[in-house]
Amino acid sequence: MKPLTGFSLLRPPTLVGALEMMSTLEHAQPIVGGTDIIPTFKDLGSKPVHLIDLGLIEELNGIMEEDGKILIGPTTTHTQILTSKVIEKTAPALHDAARWIGSVQIRNRGTIGGNLCNASPAADSAPPLLVHGAEAHICSLEEGHWIPLLELFKGPKMTVLKPNEILIGLRFPTIAGASSSFQRIGRRKGFTLSVVNAAVYVERKDDALKEARIALGSVAPTPIRAPVVEDKIRGKKMSEELIDEAAEACVEVAKPIDDVRGTAEYRKDMTAVLVKRALREAWRRTGGEL
Amino acid sequence: MEYDRILSDLLNRDEYLVVGKKTVRLDALDKLLGKARFTSDYIPKNTMTVKVVRSTMPHALIKRVDTSTALMVPGVVTILTAKDVPGENEIGYALPEQPFLNDKKVHYVGDPIALVCAIDETTAQEAMEAVVVEYEPLPAVFDIDAALAEGAPIIHKENNVAVKTKIRKGDIAKGWKDSDVVVEDTYWSPYQEHMCLEPEAAYAVPDGVGKVTIIACMQSPHLVREKVARVLGWKLNQVRVIQALTGGAFGKKDDTGPLISGYAALAAIKTGKPAAYIMDRSEVLSVTPKRFPVRFKYRSGADGKGKLTAVEVEITLEVGAYANRAPFWLWRQTAHACGPYEVPNVAVDGRAVYTNKVYGGSYRGFGNLALHFAAEQQVDKLAYELDMDPVDFRMKNILRIGSRTTCDQLLDNSVGIDKCLAGVAAASDWAKHREPVRIGTKIRGWGVGCAYHGNSTSRSTPDWSAASLMIHGDGSLTYRTAICEIGQGSPFGHAKIVAEIIGCNLDSIKIEQPDTDSTPDSKPTHGSRGLMMGGTAAADAAIKLRERIIRVASNMLDCPEAHVELRDSQAYNRKKPSVKIPFAEIVEEMHIRGENPASYGFYTSPRRFFDVDTGLGYNYAVYTFAASVAEVEVDTETGQVEVTKIWPAMDVGKVIDPLMVDGQIHGAISQGIGFAIMENLQLKDGVVTTTGFKDYIIPSALDTPEIDDTIVVEEPYKHAAFGAKGVGEPSIISIVPAVVNAIHHATGLRFSTIPITPDRMHKALKEAGKK
Repeated sequence: MKPLTGFSLLRPPTLVGALEMMSTLEHAQPIVGGTDIIPTFKDLGSKPVHLIDLGLIEELNGIMEEDGKILIGPTTTHTQILTSKVIEKTAPALHDAARWIGSVQIRNRGTIGGNLCNASPAADSAPPLLVHGAEAHICSLEEGHWIPLLELFKGPKMTVLKPNEILIGLRFPTIAGASSSFQRIGRRKGFTLSVVNAAVYVERKDDALKEARIALGSVAPTPIRAPVVEDKIRGKKMSEELIDEAAEACVEVAKPIDDVRGTAEYRKDMTAVLVKRALREAWRRTGGEL
Repeated sequence: MEYDRILSDLLNRDEYLVVGKKTVRLDALDKLLGKARFTSDYIPKNTMTVKVVRSTMPHALIKRVDTSTALMVPGVVTILTAKDVPGENEIGYALPEQPFLNDKKVHYVGDPIALVCAIDETTAQEAMEAVVVEYEPLPAVFDIDAALAEGAPIIHKENNVAVKTKIRKGDIAKGWKDSDVVVEDTYWSPYQEHMCLEPEAAYAVPDGVGKVTIIACMQSPHLVREKVARVLGWKLNQVRVIQALTGGAFGKKDDTGPLISGYAALAAIKTGKPAAYIMDRSEVLSVTPKRFPVRFKYRSGADGKGKLTAVEVEITLEVGAYANRAPFWLWRQTAHACGPYEVPNVAVDGRAVYTNKVYGGSYRGFGNLALHFAAEQQVDKLAYELDMDPVDFRMKNILRIGSRTTCDQLLDNSVGIDKCLAGVAAASDWAKHREPVRIGTKIRGWGVGCAYHGNSTSRSTPDWSAASLMIHGDGSLTYRTAICEIGQGSPFGHAKIVAEIIGCNLDSIKIEQPDTDSTPDSKPTHGSRGLMMGGTAAADAAIKLRERIIRVASNMLDCPEAHVELRDSQAYNRKKPSVKIPFAEIVEEMHIRGENPASYGFYTSPRRFFDVDTGLGYNYAVYTFAASVAEVEVDTETGQVEVTKIWPAMDVGKVIDPLMVDGQIHGAISQGIGFAIMENLQLKDGVVTTTGFKDYIIPSALDTPEIDDTIVVEEPYKHAAFGAKGVGEPSIISIVPAVVNAIHHATGLRFSTIPITPDRMHKALKEAGKK
């Protein structure tokens, strides 16, 4: 751990102000809760120059339901996600995930935008948003555009964001008859990074899977989707056999590594267990029976 | 001198006033409110910062240390190396092989080479990175087998064995002949980091005329004084050491106290400026001592009737770069090798082996945690081999009054392990839980563990303790002990002993922070001796003061001394309780009559001995005993183990405070569970890779199981005040084997290595086809 060096903390009250700073200042870095960024500075001994606090910009915070879409501002805290009835109803997986992020204190400070932009392969908010088909709104002073969330992640701790860009919003559609589930394995019950995690989204039509999406965390350099498996089970009649088939197929998708949190072999095997559990729970949440 | 009886006769009370009662600790509220002051709270802003330049090589000769560039960094005050050490450049605990600052050779990644003193942390960091150390790398060894191999690189001495131990009891050949069943296994118990909430911190202030004052976290101010004085080449009375409230220690700060105090003190006297050294978390994890890793090769036998016949053990302790406490640690493991059972024929051979890794050191349970992890599985296996209930088998062999221990010590008092075991078996409905239960993807199982732990020093090292007590004009008291408050509350236990004997109000006693200029040398806060030795010295001081108070009071009350009762900081005649004299008035009278209002307590443990050739003798003053039953649930899909309930029991001699006994046991359960299933210090090429709370996982409150009411057994120790024995260390020892045996009960799998992490459990289940 290294001592934190001096830096300037800028607190623009408007988005335009923040974007101006991002495009004019060298080595500018957005910050909100600081729960990932500050420890990173200390661990790596890197020297931040300008920290741009986005916390005062009202339009970047909050959860809204609009025209069949859920909009989430990037500075929305995990506690806000966890206590949102709208999220609990429309994206149960995201609600599940928020419950296990850090501790109460971390959830009060840490934000969903920060969790995503930190680009940890183990980020708990990523798989739920990925299966809900979330898009990320990326903006610079010159222009803004929406990209599928999956495209935000470039590698461990790396995103596609350019130095002058900020993630300013997230959105995903709400679909009737859909539900989701998030499952994780940590090394203790709480306050810990996921060794492996998974989210599953399903749309049910009678006893069949009208739509199925699977996302996995901590088994690749970035959070990933499992489209091969999704294609395999989409439209099929739901059954324990189908769940087993999907779970086993996901093991082939996972390309984990050994690290201090767990072995690759364990992560592969657990991918199957978590996908199985998530598929069952998501299906039951749609009112489906097994 | 049978203290338990002496005291009860002396006090002549139907019921004790405070001993044995639940009381709120005097320091509890301050700690709760964040008002308590720890070392860092004493360090003023802008104090000169000290940082340690450490070896980046696991094993190398130092060719050159160049500080010239670093000295040019603006804000650097000075940089100190071995040549600046005025006294002996030596800080080893047991063996003189550990330089205070290294200048010839480094033995692990983290060995101290230079002290950077600078105006602030950032400057110190910059300068530290600019110090150039040129090495000539030597081949390094990272495990005990490599260290023992022929032609292995020599770390300190030929063959890399720091010390050996041995026990020969009975006739081992006959033991095997008498055995109907024999079980053998090799066990590995790894490093464990203490994870004290407070990282190490020391603050030193020079006074310019040959004296330095040190405030630091530690477990023995007098040991710190001795080590620092040696490094400085000063007399003991030139070094004043004050122990600040210490935010967790668990043994570690007994080892690090002298090191950190030495860094701050040397910087302070060399620069003439106050100096502060504060470790950061990654430094604590990377370079400070851990629980010693150890390998046990066990062979244990029993006859068809279920009596233990023979135990043979080979202990290979990995000490890392320096022996530190290894001789004492290894001896504890050797002397306790059979567990709390009577075994007629025993052969134990131990050796402590150097490697080029972070070294081992003191940690709650001192060798006995690892030892019982192995020994208690051996006993469990024998029970299964004999198709006997594990509790019944233990009961047949358990130590009782008249039994002889592993090292042939005759136990003639204070043995309550049978009651502990019977207690937890009854409380947990043991007999009803003999079949594991399947619940969804989980299996529930139950296991038992027993433990014993010698109180006070190992290897029959003489042991004594001291304390002082002073009563003031208003009847308030100052109590001094060098037994340190490290969270456990031992000094508060002393205060309760004092209050019981003097009859003063508990809150009229102020416990001073230990200060070597005024506090008597109570010897260290280790070896489960804080209450048993330190508390008995407190009793000695209190008895002496009581005698004087009684003398004066009997005169003032005009009644025989035997009729004087002291309570609520007042004296009265038991036969005529209406007239009460407050202590303030008695103290005034004491001065007039020439009765000393201050007293010094001193207590020496009975002499012990052992035969170096056979390892047999009277090894420990007394033993604390414990038994636990654990209930676990193993998820056979994920390999996750959850400890769902613990039933604890302990023979503590005499409870001074039930809340503090519970506090120790509850903390021990969490720390024990961490060691058994979670904590995993990882190294790569001798470098610790789990350097913070994020990677080195310890249990959180959510992982704490339901804990049943503590079953307290009180078999008093005849030589200690009120018969009390140590609690904090022994409380952890039975937890690990209980959990591991419960995991076996649930899954049928034996684990000879801990921690049993989910990935290891999953792999084992997969291999056994039980997934």
